[in-house]
Amino acid sequence: MATVIEMKGDHQEFKEEVETTDMALFVRTSDEAMYGWDRQKIVDALIRETYVDFDTAKEVAREVEDLIATSKIKMITAPLIRELVDTKLIERGLEQARKMHTRLGMPLYDVDQLILHPNKENANVPHGPEATNLTLAERIKKEYALLSVFSQEVADAHMRGDIHLHDLGFIDRPYCSGQSLEYIKRFGLSLPNSIAMAKPAKHPEVLLAHMVKFAAALQSHFAGAIGWDSINLFFAPYVVGMSDQELEQLAQMMIFEFSQQAVARGGQAIFTDLNLYWEVPKHFEKVPAIGPGGEFTGKTYSDYLKESQRFAKALFDVYQEGDGSGRPFFFPKPLVHITEKFFQTPGHMDFLHHICDVASEKGNTYFVFDRGETAKISECCRLSFKLDQTDLEDAKQPWRMRYCALQNVTLNLPRIAYLAEGEDSKLFSKIAEFVEMVVKSHLEKKLFIEKLLSLGEKGPLALLAMDRDGSPYLRMHRASFLIGMVGLNELVQIHAGQEMHQSKQAFKFGLKVIAHMKLLVDKFSQRYGMRFVLEQTPAESTAYRFAKLDLKYHSPKSGHIVKGDISKGEVYYTNSTYLNNSAVLNPIERVRQEGLFHPLIEAGALSHIWLGEARPSKASLANFVIKTFRLTQNDQIAFSPEFTTCNRCNRTNRGLRSSCVYCGSEDVDGITRITGYFTKVSSWNKGKIGELRNRYRNQAFLGQKEEEMVLKA
Amino acid sequence: MGLIKIFTKAHCPKCPVVREMGVALKKEGVPVLNYDLDTIDGLAEASFYSILSTPSIVIEDEEEREVISWRGEVPTLQEVKQYLPRGIS
Repeated sequence: MATVIEMKGDHQEFKEEVETTDMALFVRTSDEAMYGWDRQKIVDALIRETYVDFDTAKEVAREVEDLIATSKIKMITAPLIRELVDTKLIERGLEQARKMHTRLGMPLYDVDQLILHPNKENANVPHGPEATNLTLAERIKKEYALLSVFSQEVADAHMRGDIHLHDLGFIDRPYCSGQSLEYIKRFGLSLPNSIAMAKPAKHPEVLLAHMVKFAAALQSHFAGAIGWDSINLFFAPYVVGMSDQELEQLAQMMIFEFSQQAVARGGQAIFTDLNLYWEVPKHFEKVPAIGPGGEFTGKTYSDYLKESQRFAKALFDVYQEGDGSGRPFFFPKPLVHITEKFFQTPGHMDFLHHICDVASEKGNTYFVFDRGETAKISECCRLSFKLDQTDLEDAKQPWRMRYCALQNVTLNLPRIAYLAEGEDSKLFSKIAEFVEMVVKSHLEKKLFIEKLLSLGEKGPLALLAMDRDGSPYLRMHRASFLIGMVGLNELVQIHAGQEMHQSKQAFKFGLKVIAHMKLLVDKFSQRYGMRFVLEQTPAESTAYRFAKLDLKYHSPKSGHIVKGDISKGEVYYTNSTYLNNSAVLNPIERVRQEGLFHPLIEAGALSHIWLGEARPSKASLANFVIKTFRLTQNDQIAFSPEFTTCNRCNRTNRGLRSSCVYCGSEDVDGITRITGYFTKVSSWNKGKIGELRNRYRNQAFLGQKEEEMVLKA
Repeated sequence: MGLIKIFTKAHCPKCPVVREMGVALKKEGVPVLNYDLDTIDGLAEASFYSILSTPSIVIEDEEEREVISWRGEVPTLQEVKQYLPRGIS
């Protein structure tokens, strides 16, 4: 309620001094009241909110009063008074004071549009009152962030489109997180501000209920994904003795609970990632297992391999079936970790075929490759955290394994190439400038979040400040700060004259750019003692935003570079370090080439294989997965089919079509992956629609016989 | 033209041996390129060859195809010479 009128501060000493007019004027304020005109309130607001001196404040108030008196205005509102005051501040050259006195909000017209029309910035957000609340709140918090959290330099870089500060509307939350089920198994559900406390669960269904409620609470504190580590293993001690039918019921409950739970962030489903292992991960082998009632069972997790595997299989049975109309579940996303130990664990080929079947049929499976000694936790479209030595120590008490990325900021790489005008040295120094700006933005956000956390369990981030095991829930020392990129392909195209898939030189130049960024990021990590890491930004709306801004600022050159259809406004840059979506490449070759960037992108990367209508055999996909693990450096792959679901007959068919193949209805929705998750195409922004039109579907390649799909290593 | 690519880093205990090997091969007229993974060019080239540990050596043929590589290990000079394509040894 930042109105001029509503002040409650103790400013009586000024009141005594100033003369109050007897204007018969009422002011409508944002706290739903009408107050009589009182010039003093302007003075009080200026003194309280800005650094102007008392005499100037009085002068401004008097001038505004005169203006209102002579204007014969019939209805005066607090926002109008504030604007008039701001005009007077500008006239005096008091720019800083005007900034501090800013009113945050939205024009009436915008609110009207917002309530009527869906928001397409995030395809996950449904259209409804809760979503409108989210957008309204986000708008104000965005403005607040750009005015008050970040320096003007950083805010301007964002506004210009040099960089993109993600989730500004969630400025008072960290970005995304990785959770351990062990925390609620051990401590029950005892959350700050909660009106009831639950002891550790004794039954699997209750554990699931705790997990879902905790996830909902966490989603209110994180802008992005909530990832759960080794979920099948940690459930295992609770499912001992359950029949196949009971286990499938539990798996069904888990998937439906997470896919239908529309609670936080404007009524979106909780962005949930389930990390699954066929084996017992090495770092959990000797860890004492926690079972019903939060008690140690006296066994280690190695003893629960069978139950863990049964639960993983049951989950994929549910994924295979799809929802009530046979559609793929959008959430929770299953991420299966493929490791050396996976291949040494009996039954792995059957399981691999099973999850490949689901990948071909419904597309759900993500294949995460943890090669060598690396252990990872994935928790977003492509975000993952490699566990270092201290984490492996923490693994002995798995409830300590809580991770987060505090913020994600993306560089507009094509912008750098336009500015460099073909000069190498200019290009590399501009990259350094942009990365430095991103680092600055991370320092500013960190400071802000630390301020909120310092208020502890009475503060706005009470949940993240809660201490049940000797350290706050959010472990700041383990936080990552993500530095993303959009449009490497277009940077190379502008600077070297060819796209990355067009020549070895162009491809190598792309590697050079990312190598430069990686070395810079490592330097900044050392300098500040923070974990700055490169990440492949999902860029659902950023790839569109950057392209639009560059068409504005770097035309006509940008007109030849942006991808998509300019006449329809469906423009975009290629996401992160990807090769052109429309390039005709053997999928395994694409996975290999894109994978060469992945070791440089520490926070995680992913390659998409767009299937279109193709439905490759499970054996052929399994072969593909094994080859990717053995012969490439690719971090993660996902196969994405396309579907059309009918809103009249509720049946789902393969491919994107304008009408239902079963009943002919045109009331249909297309479904496929937008970036790292499935959603309805009708909710996509124009940039992503442009990309969808251009995507090269691998029907031809995946239709080939297995033996032809050899990798040219 | 075929050549040898050597990948090293500043703080890597086994790297000096491989660098010396490169000097010896150069003296014998073998084309050797050195890449330092702490530099942009070095890291980019290493990424292209999926070099994840140092020291590493890659031998290429005339068409820049990999003949053999040693990754994170140190071969003997004789072993390296054994794989040099004709015309460069």
